[in-house]
Amino acid sequence: MSEPDPGLSSGAVVAEPETLHAPPPRLSSPLARLALDFCASRPAVAGLAVILVVAVAAIFAPLIVPQNPYDLAQLDIMDGTLPPGSPSYAFGTYWLGTDVQGRDMLSAIVYGLRISLLVGSVSVAFALVIGSAVGLVAAFFGGGLDSLLMRIVDIQLSFPAILVALILLAIFGNGVDKVIIALVIVQWAYYARAVRGSALVERRKEYIDAAVCLGLGTRRVLFGHLLPNCLPPLIVIATVQVAHAVALEATLSFLGVGVPITEPSLGLLIANGFEYMMSGRYWISFFPGVALVVVIVAINLVGDRLRDLLNPRLQR
Amino acid sequence: MNRILAACAGGAFVLGLAQAALSGTALVGTALADDLTIGLASEPSALDPHYHNLTPNNAAWQHIFDGLISQDAKQRLQPGLAVAWKPLDATTWEFDLRKGVTFHDGTPFDAEDVIYTIRRIPNVANSPSSFTIYTKSIASMEAKDPYTLIIKTEAPRPLLPTELSNLAIISKETCEGASGGDWPKTEDFNSGTLAVGTGPYKFAEFVKGDRLVLTRNDDYWGGKPTWDKVTFKPISSDGPRVAALLSGDVDVIDNPPTQDLPRLKADKNINVYSGLSNRVIYLHMDQFADDTPGVQGTNGRNPFKDKRVREAVSKAIDRKAIVEKIMGGVAVAAEQLLPKGMFGADPALEVEAYDPAGARKLLAEAGYPDGFKLVLGTPNDRYINDEKVAQAVAQFLTRVGIQTTVDASTKSVFFKRRNSYEFSMYLAGWGSGTGEMSSPLRALVATPDKEKGYGGTNRGRYSNPAVDAKIDEALQTLDDAGREKLLQEASDLVIKDYGILPLHYEVTSWATRKGLAYEPRTDQYTSAMSVTQAQ
Repeated sequence: MSEPDPGLSSGAVVAEPETLHAPPPRLSSPLARLALDFCASRPAVAGLAVILVVAVAAIFAPLIVPQNPYDLAQLDIMDGTLPPGSPSYAFGTYWLGTDVQGRDMLSAIVYGLRISLLVGSVSVAFALVIGSAVGLVAAFFGGGLDSLLMRIVDIQLSFPAILVALILLAIFGNGVDKVIIALVIVQWAYYARAVRGSALVERRKEYIDAAVCLGLGTRRVLFGHLLPNCLPPLIVIATVQVAHAVALEATLSFLGVGVPITEPSLGLLIANGFEYMMSGRYWISFFPGVALVVVIVAINLVGDRLRDLLNPRLQR
Repeated sequence: MNRILAACAGGAFVLGLAQAALSGTALVGTALADDLTIGLASEPSALDPHYHNLTPNNAAWQHIFDGLISQDAKQRLQPGLAVAWKPLDATTWEFDLRKGVTFHDGTPFDAEDVIYTIRRIPNVANSPSSFTIYTKSIASMEAKDPYTLIIKTEAPRPLLPTELSNLAIISKETCEGASGGDWPKTEDFNSGTLAVGTGPYKFAEFVKGDRLVLTRNDDYWGGKPTWDKVTFKPISSDGPRVAALLSGDVDVIDNPPTQDLPRLKADKNINVYSGLSNRVIYLHMDQFADDTPGVQGTNGRNPFKDKRVREAVSKAIDRKAIVEKIMGGVAVAAEQLLPKGMFGADPALEVEAYDPAGARKLLAEAGYPDGFKLVLGTPNDRYINDEKVAQAVAQFLTRVGIQTTVDASTKSVFFKRRNSYEFSMYLAGWGSGTGEMSSPLRALVATPDKEKGYGGTNRGRYSNPAVDAKIDEALQTLDDAGREKLLQEASDLVIKDYGILPLHYEVTSWATRKGLAYEPRTDQYTSAMSVTQAQ
């Protein structure tokens, strides 16, 4: 039985010359192949470039912007609601104008982006870890535990995210840390469900059986073998969820339950300027709004491209 | 949640603008009928005039009911259902009542109605803010004849006429037993059954959250009221309220947002009327115990017990900048708790000059050369630009070394937290219901004392026996000139002790469509009686 069938092996040899042409030999690593495929889409590359620029600006914000908008001692209300391009006594020019408290809008936007990206990436990272762990455990062990975990996920997903986040923040109070906690709580279920789905498929494949038969520990099977093969959909969801998290944080701050008013994020900047829209002082709301849209669109472009590349059904 | 409404407001606002642009002629059309529609920033919580002592409620009952005495736009006392009143001795007052007045349901008005009204005040169930503060001093009442009322007070009470002007007179014949129990119920006023007064307008319909409709009382004793029908529409969001005015849906709105005033003033189809109010916006500081919840970096000491620190805070704030930049010029920097010119305001006091260097020096003298950390509490939907003013104050304090963060919350949450002394410093406002100085002094700075009705809103728990003594004395002085002098002295003592820090007096605005005029009221009441056809 274990002896190779000579007829079958000769057939495989015949087919070999044809398959050799398909993958170019220099692209051995799947990651490099992914990178090259990714770069084939210009919008996606542009999106990635925007994200990188914003990330660098956000990380080095204190070095590149003229004012720390969160330091009340640096603000002067006599400089309040100045239009874009107005000169300032403290430093050069308010290129994007100031809000009613005398905050330089350019500085405030960069600092706001900082909060947005921090909240987006940290909350997604935590939600990803928690959600994948729950999903893997549910898929691997099945049975009652699976039902229990998935019913919790169902309940979680049946409430609108914004509602749950509003309630949580009403309980916790203001603060970036609390916004992150609230976002993790509303987001983990997406990952749990997605990971469970792909893990159920992978679970039935032979390599998992082989690993179990070899007597590998449960943890090693779960995280060493099952998890890596569930990663493609996870990466896509995580990317798109970063954009969701940024938008959700902006919404919460706009509604006044997110960050403290003396440390505005983009959503709060928009809310602060909102009431001035009709009195002609458009810049207080407008520029933070543009910044928010640009970031979210960029993340979504990257996410869409990744989904195209990592979805086996869409592979050409 | 307010911001959710505000978000919807934006859309409605843009639509409103478009509508206004499209239907410029429609604006003129509504001017023909003698109907008036008013957009209110906040609606009355009930039509029971004795249920809730709150500006929107008091403004509403003035239409349906009359007081024994009325207050004009400047809060001076005018004859109402009483044509004349005088003290017979230190504790006895005589009121001559108006003859021939009937309630809307035809029942005649006499002294028994007044006695019934005053006896009902303490018997209103679940009143969130009771009118008993105005009736506490009354010891006994007697109808000498149907049109002569004698009221005796426990102690000399010069403010009795002012206090009675805050009480709506209800009909004894209509209300007695009407709700089954001993006293009429609030719900029966809201439904309209008992909303029967002697006032210029009659109740027609009250749908809470949507509209209050009144019709003209043709038999009004004070002459024929101007409008056939008056409709109040609550529109709490600023944007939609302005849009409703621009589109012609309403004829008058109250409290147009300060940031829209320049645009409204420039609009040919809109008139804006503004007037100084009796409301002062102030900072109160916890001066009670040696530890205080909202301060850090003082080794557990409460800095505000030191007068030098309070003075430093006052000097650190540029009140004129706040008025100019945050309030858009629609406010007046405050030097005490009631604007000069009103009864008991000290004409000698001046607005504290902005002096950050002096503030730093005082802080260093008081032992805080590096300042300290402070949390400033504020409501974010109660007073005009309250949250923004608090941020500006935080900015000024941070600049002299007091690193201040702002803790803003919605009014119900804020007042609950303030009343449980959660703030070391908070921003709030006080409108003087009586239009004279004893009101803010008693409420905000007199040592809290339930018996005397002192310090009900003194949540900084400031206590100064000299001030208390002056207020005591003033409240027992029947002679107006003597009383005014005592109140001025008390005001002077408090301000010079920095017991409370006044920031500014609110200026209240109303906007009307072209063709109407509004007479601003210091009590901030929005009233159909203040609206006239412009000539």
